[in-house]
Amino acid sequence: MEAGIAGTSRRRFLAATGAGSVLAAVGPRLVDDSTSPGTAQAQAAPSTKIVKNICHQCPARCGIDVYVTDGRVHAIYGTPDHPISNGKLCPKGPLGIYVLYDPDRWKGPMRRTNPKKGREEDPKFVPVSWDEALQMVADRLNALRERGESHRFAILYGRGWGASCAGLLGTFGKLYGSPNIPIGHSSMCSDGSIIAKKATDGNAGYNAHDYRNTNYILMFGCGFLDAFRPYNNNMQVWGYIRGQKSPKTRVTAVDVHMNTTLAAADRALLIKPGTDGALALAIAHVILTEGLWERSFVGDFIDKENRFKTGQTVDPTTFEEKWVKGLVEWWNIELKDRTPAWAAKVTTLRERDIVATAREFGRTRPAMAIMERGAHAHSNGIYNAMAIHTLNALVGSLFAEGGLMYQMPPPYGSLPANADDYMDDYAKNGPWKQYPRIDLKGHPDGYLLANNMMQEVGPNHLAGKPYKLDTIMFYLTNPIWTAPNGQVWERALQDVFVIDTSPFPSETSHFADLILPDHTYLERLQDAPTYPFEGYPLTQLRVPAVKPLYDTKYFGDTLIEIGKRIKGPMGEYYKKLESAENVIRHLAKGFEKNPGDNGVDSFEKWVEKGVWYKKPYLWRQIRGEFYEWDGKGYNKPMTPEEVKAKLLKTPSGKFEIRSSLLEANADWIAAKTGRNKANLMFPIWEEPKHPGGGDLYLVTPKQALHAEGRGHNIPMVIAHFQPIVGGRGEAFAEIHPETARERGIKDRSWIKIRSSVGEIRVRCRYYEGVRPDTIVLPMEWGHWRGGRWSMAVPGGHSGECTVNQSDRITGQCNYYTTKVFVEPA
Amino acid sequence: MATVTSLRPQFKASPYLIGAGILFIVTFIYAVYLKVTLGYAAFNTTNYGVFWGFPIVVYDYFLLTSVGLALVAAVPLALGVRALDPIAKRCVWLAIAALVGGVAILFMELAHPLRALWATPLNLQTASPLFWKILCVGAYTIVLVLTALALARGARPGEVPRPLAILLGLLALAIAAIAGSVYGMLVFRPFWYGGELPVVFIIESVMGGLAFVIFFTYVAYGMAPDTVPQGTRELLAGPLGVALAVAVLLHLLFTLARTVTGLWSYGEGMQVWQYTVSQPLYWLGLIGGGVVPLVVFATPTLRTQPWLQIVGGFLVAVGLLASRYEFLINGQLVPPFKGSWAPSLLEYAPSQFEWVLFFMGVFLANTIYAGLESWSSTRQE
Amino acid sequence: MTKWGMVIDLEKCTGCQACTTACAMENSRLPGEAWQDVLFYHEGRYPNVKVSWLPRPCMHCENPSCVAVCPTKATYKTEDGVVLVDWDKCIGCKYCMIACPYGVRFYMDEKPVVQPDLREVFPGDGDRIWNPPYRMPDHLADRKKGIGIQPKGVVSKCTFCYHKISKAPKGVADLDEDDPATREYTPACVRVCPPKARYFGDLDNPNSKVSQLIADKRGVRLKEETGNKPQVYYLAGGAAPVVPGERSQERG
Repeated sequence: MEAGIAGTSRRRFLAATGAGSVLAAVGPRLVDDSTSPGTAQAQAAPSTKIVKNICHQCPARCGIDVYVTDGRVHAIYGTPDHPISNGKLCPKGPLGIYVLYDPDRWKGPMRRTNPKKGREEDPKFVPVSWDEALQMVADRLNALRERGESHRFAILYGRGWGASCAGLLGTFGKLYGSPNIPIGHSSMCSDGSIIAKKATDGNAGYNAHDYRNTNYILMFGCGFLDAFRPYNNNMQVWGYIRGQKSPKTRVTAVDVHMNTTLAAADRALLIKPGTDGALALAIAHVILTEGLWERSFVGDFIDKENRFKTGQTVDPTTFEEKWVKGLVEWWNIELKDRTPAWAAKVTTLRERDIVATAREFGRTRPAMAIMERGAHAHSNGIYNAMAIHTLNALVGSLFAEGGLMYQMPPPYGSLPANADDYMDDYAKNGPWKQYPRIDLKGHPDGYLLANNMMQEVGPNHLAGKPYKLDTIMFYLTNPIWTAPNGQVWERALQDVFVIDTSPFPSETSHFADLILPDHTYLERLQDAPTYPFEGYPLTQLRVPAVKPLYDTKYFGDTLIEIGKRIKGPMGEYYKKLESAENVIRHLAKGFEKNPGDNGVDSFEKWVEKGVWYKKPYLWRQIRGEFYEWDGKGYNKPMTPEEVKAKLLKTPSGKFEIRSSLLEANADWIAAKTGRNKANLMFPIWEEPKHPGGGDLYLVTPKQALHAEGRGHNIPMVIAHFQPIVGGRGEAFAEIHPETARERGIKDRSWIKIRSSVGEIRVRCRYYEGVRPDTIVLPMEWGHWRGGRWSMAVPGGHSGECTVNQSDRITGQCNYYTTKVFVEPA
Repeated sequence: MATVTSLRPQFKASPYLIGAGILFIVTFIYAVYLKVTLGYAAFNTTNYGVFWGFPIVVYDYFLLTSVGLALVAAVPLALGVRALDPIAKRCVWLAIAALVGGVAILFMELAHPLRALWATPLNLQTASPLFWKILCVGAYTIVLVLTALALARGARPGEVPRPLAILLGLLALAIAAIAGSVYGMLVFRPFWYGGELPVVFIIESVMGGLAFVIFFTYVAYGMAPDTVPQGTRELLAGPLGVALAVAVLLHLLFTLARTVTGLWSYGEGMQVWQYTVSQPLYWLGLIGGGVVPLVVFATPTLRTQPWLQIVGGFLVAVGLLASRYEFLINGQLVPPFKGSWAPSLLEYAPSQFEWVLFFMGVFLANTIYAGLESWSSTRQE
Repeated sequence: MTKWGMVIDLEKCTGCQACTTACAMENSRLPGEAWQDVLFYHEGRYPNVKVSWLPRPCMHCENPSCVAVCPTKATYKTEDGVVLVDWDKCIGCKYCMIACPYGVRFYMDEKPVVQPDLREVFPGDGDRIWNPPYRMPDHLADRKKGIGIQPKGVVSKCTFCYHKISKAPKGVADLDEDDPATREYTPACVRVCPPKARYFGDLDNPNSKVSQLIADKRGVRLKEETGNKPQVYYLAGGAAPVVPGERSQERG
C-alpha cells in the first residue's frame, strides 16, 4: 500500500506536469533561440525530467528543481519561480544528491536485539517488517493507555516541516492522551528570540523581514552570511542591497569571531560573549539623548524638547507615547546610565565604535536590528534580546517598509476529519491530564514561560522527576548528541523504549529499540509552509523525484499507520485521514478559493509548481500609522484595535518596553532568578552567568555548510567545511595566537577543551579573528555514531563540554556561554 | 670467464652484477606491489602544490647525469681528445645505465608512459619544453645505443663515427639545456624562473658526469686503487679532477648567487629561500657536494689521493642529488592559489614507495652498468 | 567568433561556496577536486582582522601556459575560447599543473582528501576512477573534452560546463540563469550563485553583459604579469582584487 502512495502520486505528477517540466531535447533538436524566447528549455536527454521539491538541509525551504535522468537524480538547482530560492541555492542545496544516495542509510525497519544500551554496545539490529514494527509500537501504546500511563509516551521532534508530518503530532497527543506529544526543539533552537518578541510586541515567532528596502542592518550574533535562515535568500538580498541597490545598505555586524558576515560588513564589532544587550542599551541611550528616535512611531515630548540627558531622570508626563509602552520608565530605571562609555567597559568594544554605530543606526531609515542565538543564548538572553528588539521600535521599523513583520500562514483546507469528533473519555478526562510535561515546560518548578524544554527531557527522565517515560519517539531530532552535555542522555535513554525515525544512523538510533526509517527528502511527498520569510503566505511541496530507494516510509504515514492501530475512536480518526497524501490533498483544497500568484489552485498544480504563494503582506506601518492592503495599495487605515488583534498583540496593543508578560509573572521570575521585581519587566543589563568553571568562553557556531547538521556524512561538506581557517577534513578550534602561546599550544596541534561536565580533544588553528578570551569550535563533528564519513572525521564534539544551562524565562539553551579550560593535548 | 690482465679492467662481474640484479628485482617487485595495492596514493604528492615529487627529482638527476657522462664521453669521441680515451667507454656505459635507471623511475611514476611515446611525437606541441625534452631523449637514447654498439664491437674511441659522436654531444647538451628550461621558463615561479637555468643544468650535468666516472672507475677496479692503470690514475688526478673542480666551482657560484639573490628578493614565492637555507639538505648539497670536493679536487696534493677522489666523487654525486631535490621540491612549497586550504608553506617528504622507486632506479642502473662492463669485457676477451 | 568569459563581482560575493558545491554536483567531482574553489585569506591582528575571499574557477586564459607546456596537446583551447583536456591524450605528467599560475588543475589519483575514499565506496568501472549513482548522465560525458568522471591517471579541470555552454544558441551574447531561454546553458557556478556575483557571456560580443561590466566596473584579471590573459575578470570596486600573497601573512 505504501508503494502505492508513492506510485500514485508519481504517476499523477507525471501526468500533471507534462510538457512544462519534461525537458526539451538538445543537440540536433536544440530549440532555436529565435523561435523560443522565454520558454523553458534544457540541454538534457529526452528522458530527463525536473521534479519539484524543497531543500531539507536547513529550515529555509528553498524550492528546488530535481533533475532526474533514467531514474537517477544527478543535479539539483533552485526553482526559478520560487520566491525564496529564485533559481539560486546556497552551498548546501546541490548536496542533496549525496543525501539521497548516502550508502549508510537504513534500508528498512530494524529491531534491536541487544537489550544493553551504551556507546560501546552493538545494538544488534535485525530487519523487521513494517507491519510488525508498527504493530509493536501500537501494542505498547495501547498497553500504556490501558494502564492509564499514556503520559509516559513522548514524541520529540526537530525540524517539523508541515501539516502532514509534525503538524499531525498535536492531534495525536490530544487523541492519545499525553502532554508530551509533541515536545519541540525550539528551546534548543532560538526560543530566546521568540519569547523576547512575545514579551515586547506580542508575536511569539521569528520575524519576517523586508531586507530589500532597508538601508541599515544591525546584526547581533546571527551569522547572516554564515547560517542565518533563509541563507540562500539572505545572500540574494546581499547581492542586491550591496551590489545594486541605491543607496547601498550599510551593515554593522556583531559577533565574537570574524566570520564571513563580519568580514563582509562595513563594521565588525567583536563583542564579549553575552554582552550584546549592553551594546543595544548604549545604542538606545545615544538614540534618545541625541534625539534620533522615530517620533511618528515612538511618540515625543509634548513640547518637543528632548529631556533625555545622560544620568538625568525624565518626568513621564512630559512624554506622549504613541506605539510604545514604558519608554520613559525604562529610561529612568535603566537607560539613563547606559552610556557608550559604560558599554565599552562591559562589551570591550571601543566607545567610538558604539557611538558611531548608534548614530548611523539612529539616523538611517529604514533600519533594522536583527539577532539570534549569539546574543540571547545566555542566562541574560531575554534581556539582551528585548534590548535589541526595542531598537526596532525606537527607529520605527516594525511593520514598516524595509522593516520587520511576522509570517502569515497559508490558507490550508481542513483535514478529512475533525479530531474533536474522535475524542474518547480517556482523551478528554483520562489520568494523563494531571501530569505536567516531562520537560516541566509551563510548570512553576520548571520553565513557566518557555515554549519547549527539550534539553530537560533527558535529565528529567533520568532523575524520574516529574516521572519516568516509557517510550520516546524521535522525529528529525538527535538530542542525545545535540543537547548540551549529551552524556546525561546516554544514561537517560538506557531504560526507555526508543523509536527513531531518521533515515540515517545516529546516536539516537544507536540507543533505539526500533527504527522506522523515513524517506529522504527527494523521495517524499510532504508539505511545508514557509519559515518566516517576507511575511506574505507561502507554502510548498516536496514531490518524490524517484521511488524510495529502500523499504522506508514517510514519517507522516508512519504516524497515521500507528494511529490506525490505536484502539477506540482514535484509530477511526486515522483511518479517515487515510494517508499523508490524502491529508495533503485536503490541505490543497484551501487553494481553490485562494489561488496563488503563480496560478496554483489545486493539488495537481501544486505538484507541478512546487509552491503556492500570495503576495503581498497585508499590513504596513507608514510613519506611525497602520494600513491594510485594499487590493491596490496600503490604503485602508487600521484602528488601534485592529493593530492589537493583528500586529502588536500585547495586552496594551503597543510595543511594550515594559513587558506585560514579564510583569504578570514577576513573582515567579523574582523567586526563581532573584531578580528585582521593580525592573525585571524592562530590557535591563544583567551580567550573564557562565558555568563550566574555565577561563575561556566556548562558542560553537554554525557554518554555512552545517546549518542543522544534516551534512555531517557528506564528503563534500567535510572537504569545504570551515573555509576561513582552512577547515578541510575536520572542524578546527579557532584560537587566538596569544591565547594559544600562553598555554603552550602550537598552531594546528591537538588541544584539550575541558569544562565541569566533560573534556574533548580537537585540533586548533591560530586565528587573529577570534577574541582572545574565546575559543570557537563549530558544532558539527565528534559523532560517535553516524555515517562512515562522519565518524571518520577527527576531533571531539563541543556538546560534551557544554553545560546544560537555560535562560529561566525563555528556556533558551545557553549554548554559547560555558567557560572552559584549554590546554595542549 | 674473464681473465685478469694488467691492461684490462679487473672487473669482478658476478658479485656486483648479481647483487645489484637481485636488489633491483626485489625493489622492483616491491614497487609494483605498492603501486598495484595503493595506486597513485602511494605517492606523497598532493593537489595542494607539490605535484612533482621525489621520483621526478631522481629521474631528472639520473637523466642529467647521463647526459653529463655523454658530454664527457664526447670529449674523446667527438673532439678527439685522445687523453680521455681510457674513460670514454665507461662514460657511455654509465650514461646508458643512468638513462635506463631514470627512465624506469619515470615510467613507474607516470600514469601513461606508453601513451607518451606515441602522443608526444604525433601531436607536435612545439611550444612545450617537455615535448622537446621527450623528443631529444628519444633521439639521445638511439644515438647512445649506437655509440655503445660501436664501442662494444671493439672499436677504439677514436674509431666511433664522428658524426654520431657529435650528435651525441649535441643531444646531451640540448637535453641538459631543455631540462633547465622546463623550470626556467615558469615566470610565475620565481624560485625557478631564470634564463641562466639551462647553463646551470649543463654545468651540473658535466659535474655529475665527471664525478660518476671518477667514482665508478674505482668501482670497476673493485675499489682497489692499486689495480687502476697508471694512465687512468693520472687522468683522474689530472685533467678530470681539475675539470671537476672547475665544474664544482661554477655550480657553487651559481648556487650561492641564487641563494643570496633569493634571500634578498621580496618576491612572492621567494620566501622559500629562507626555508631552504634552514634545511640541512641545502648545506649537505652546498658543503658536502660543493665545498669539500672543491677543496679536494682543486688541491694538487689532495686530488692525487685515490681515496679522496673516491670520497670526493661520491660526495659530488650525493650533493647533486640533494641540490636537485631542494631545487625541485622547494620550488613547489609555496602553494599557488590555495588560500587558507593549504598552509603558507607545504610539507613534503618522500613516501615509502618513492624511496623504493629511488632504490629500484639505483639498483637497476648499477645492474645495467655492471652488465655492460661485464658484457664488454667478455666480448673483448 | 564566440569567446566565452566570466565576470565575478567581488563586492557581491558572499564567500558561501555554492559555486564550489554546484560544480561538484554538476560535474561529479571528488572532494578536494575543487574545479571551482573559493580561497580565503586573513591578515592583520585582532581586532582589526581583514578576511577576504576569492572565487577561483579556471581562468580559461587567452594565452594558457598549461596548453603551451602540455607535451601531447592533451590540453587544448577550443575555438570558442575554452581550455579543455583530452583524457585520451593526457599522460599524467602534471606539467600543466606546474605551469598553471592559478592552481586550477587536479590529479585525483592521489590520497583522498576525505576518508573513507569515495573511489572505494563507489568503485570505478575502468573508464572512470569512481562511479557514484549521482554521476553526470552518460550522454553528457565526453573524454575528449574532459567532461564527466575521468579515467585513471589524467589531469582534470573546470570546463566552464562545456557540456552546457557548447549547446547554447549560436551568437547569444549572455548565458544568464535568470533568462529561461539560456538558463540550462549557464555554467553551474554562475547559475547557482545566490548574490548573482557571476556573469557569463561572450567577451567578443560588444553587447554582452560581461563586456559591459568589464568596462563600466573596471574589471581586472589576476596575475597579469604572467601574460596568461585570463578570460575570467573580477570586479572589485575599480581596485585590483588584492590577493594577499603568503608573505603578507608573515609576522614582521
